[in-house]
Amino acid sequence: MAGRGGRKPRNFATFRLFPRAGAADPNDRVFVRVDHNDYNVPGFADEDSFDSNFTADAADLHSSASGPLPEHVRREILELGFPDDGYNYLFHLRELRPAADAASSFVPSSTARPEPLPLDVKAYDASRVRVAPSADDLDEGKTMCKVAAKTAPLRRVQRAVDPDVARLLDESDFSHAGSEDEGLEEDFVIMANQAEGDDEVEEEDEELGNGIFSDVEEEEEFEDEPKPRVRRLLDEQFDLLALEEYGDSDDDDDRGGRDGDYELPREAIDELKLFRDQNGCVDEDYRTPADFVRGKLESTTADEVDESANVMRKCAEYAERYLNEPAEEKEIVLVSESSDESEVWDCETIVSTYSNLDNHPGKIETPGNCRKRFPRVFPGETATTNDLIKLHGKEKLPVDYLPQRKRNGEKEKKVKPAEALNAEKVKKEAHKETKEEKKARKAAVKEEKREARKAKKELKGLYKSETQKAQKVAAVTGPSSIRLM
Amino acid sequence: MAAAALYGAGGAMKGGKLGMEGAVDMQLNRIRITLSSKNVKNLEKVCADLVKGAKAKELRVKGPVRIPTKVLHITTRKSPCGEGTNTWDRFEFRIHKRVIDLISSPEVVKQITSITIEPGVEVEVTIADV
Repeated sequence: MAGRGGRKPRNFATFRLFPRAGAADPNDRVFVRVDHNDYNVPGFADEDSFDSNFTADAADLHSSASGPLPEHVRREILELGFPDDGYNYLFHLRELRPAADAASSFVPSSTARPEPLPLDVKAYDASRVRVAPSADDLDEGKTMCKVAAKTAPLRRVQRAVDPDVARLLDESDFSHAGSEDEGLEEDFVIMANQAEGDDEVEEEDEELGNGIFSDVEEEEEFEDEPKPRVRRLLDEQFDLLALEEYGDSDDDDDRGGRDGDYELPREAIDELKLFRDQNGCVDEDYRTPADFVRGKLESTTADEVDESANVMRKCAEYAERYLNEPAEEKEIVLVSESSDESEVWDCETIVSTYSNLDNHPGKIETPGNCRKRFPRVFPGETATTNDLIKLHGKEKLPVDYLPQRKRNGEKEKKVKPAEALNAEKVKKEAHKETKEEKKARKAAVKEEKREARKAKKELKGLYKSETQKAQKVAAVTGPSSIRLM
Repeated sequence: MAAAALYGAGGAMKGGKLGMEGAVDMQLNRIRITLSSKNVKNLEKVCADLVKGAKAKELRVKGPVRIPTKVLHITTRKSPCGEGTNTWDRFEFRIHKRVIDLISSPEVVKQITSITIEPGVEVEVTIADV
């Protein structure tokens, strides 16, 4: 090759088999050209040259460097969630094989069941029970039958999620920005002041208030609405009694019910109306009866003065009479507040509104080291016959000072006299007894062995750390065949 | 086409000569098929099939030339940490390569290669003038 100026003429074309893009079957391959020589083989390549797939996008890219991306590309980018900033994110994506979808997508199990009820709980589905709106006679027997007919026992209970809570949790990211502008949701003072004007805003706030604080403030809201239900006979009777007691010979038909505590008694209103009509609002000046009485106005007739004085007197009378009345009718509102110290809520229970009675999310703690318990009474202390401490067994442990030996010792004592008795019995009685005696003896031995095994296992567990240390030492110093554990 | 029928039967039949007369008119190129794979068995199978197919079509075939296998070694420490006896793993990756030369037209070659495809075998076809 030395001395040649240019390359040899490259009159060949190279094709390679590639798996088809986006195909599930890896055996589905096509010929793709991999070189850039001028030689052309018509009809061989299944697809255009290797670069063409990419150059199609590359052409878009190169053209897009100067201008915006083509519309279909932009739409696809947006659909995938990428920002529309002029960069072609599709360049970094590749098509998934259809088989890969099964592995990457999550399908919730259709056979999964919610956990079964604990044994001490019984659950019933009472969604079909209708509470009678006006139960005139509360016949307990009948209502019980009705309720029983409609309820059905349940095996599993799904934890209910408060829809308001769920809604709030879902849109927590978006709604916070606007909520601050609207003001505090529990600002009932503002709400009350706004009651005349904005009915819609008030209702919204009330609803939200209901959702978040439903648990705590339920009682308060309940007291605020004294008459949500249908009027009963009892209510009519009560109203009549009230009217009798507190005197009103005027028409009762207009009275739909007591609206508020602060409405003036009817008589006073009538008087004031009369006064107003007589004096008129021609001048647009607000005049009170006091003005007439004290003679602060220019044109005053004696009648007007008298009437005004009358009106004032009557108003004072009525005020006195009714002053005491509302105090009796007032209902005492009991609101139980949760003090911070007595009730400790965990975050999950508060947000999920599950009761802490049966929802006990655990606390994650570091695993503590188990403390080995040593026997308080060392049996060896009683059995100090001589000053030597004997060591037995493979681990060379002081046998007398271990907790288990005492029990074995007791058992042996028990067994031995029994054996002795049996042995005596044998001598006295016939050979028939030997079988039973043998059985008893063998059973005793078995029992002893079982106990011994249990004791040994316990002991081993107790002294595991010691054997580990010994093993470490033995691994370094002793021959490699020693195995203590 | 007679050639197709031949191939469907899967055997080499001398009657194919008649069909070949028509094929001679088509342009011929020198075609080099390079097969490479990690798997010898599959590779040999594909080679044999190709040669058989080409011979069935009465093409001039230069039999599979075995290029020496390339062995890629990776030698790593067995231990994930530095402790312990210094034991090493020796992994190797073998690439086998076969080359088959034919003289025929590109269409025929495409036919042949499209049928005898085994997974894991990479096929590269270079076409040049006769």
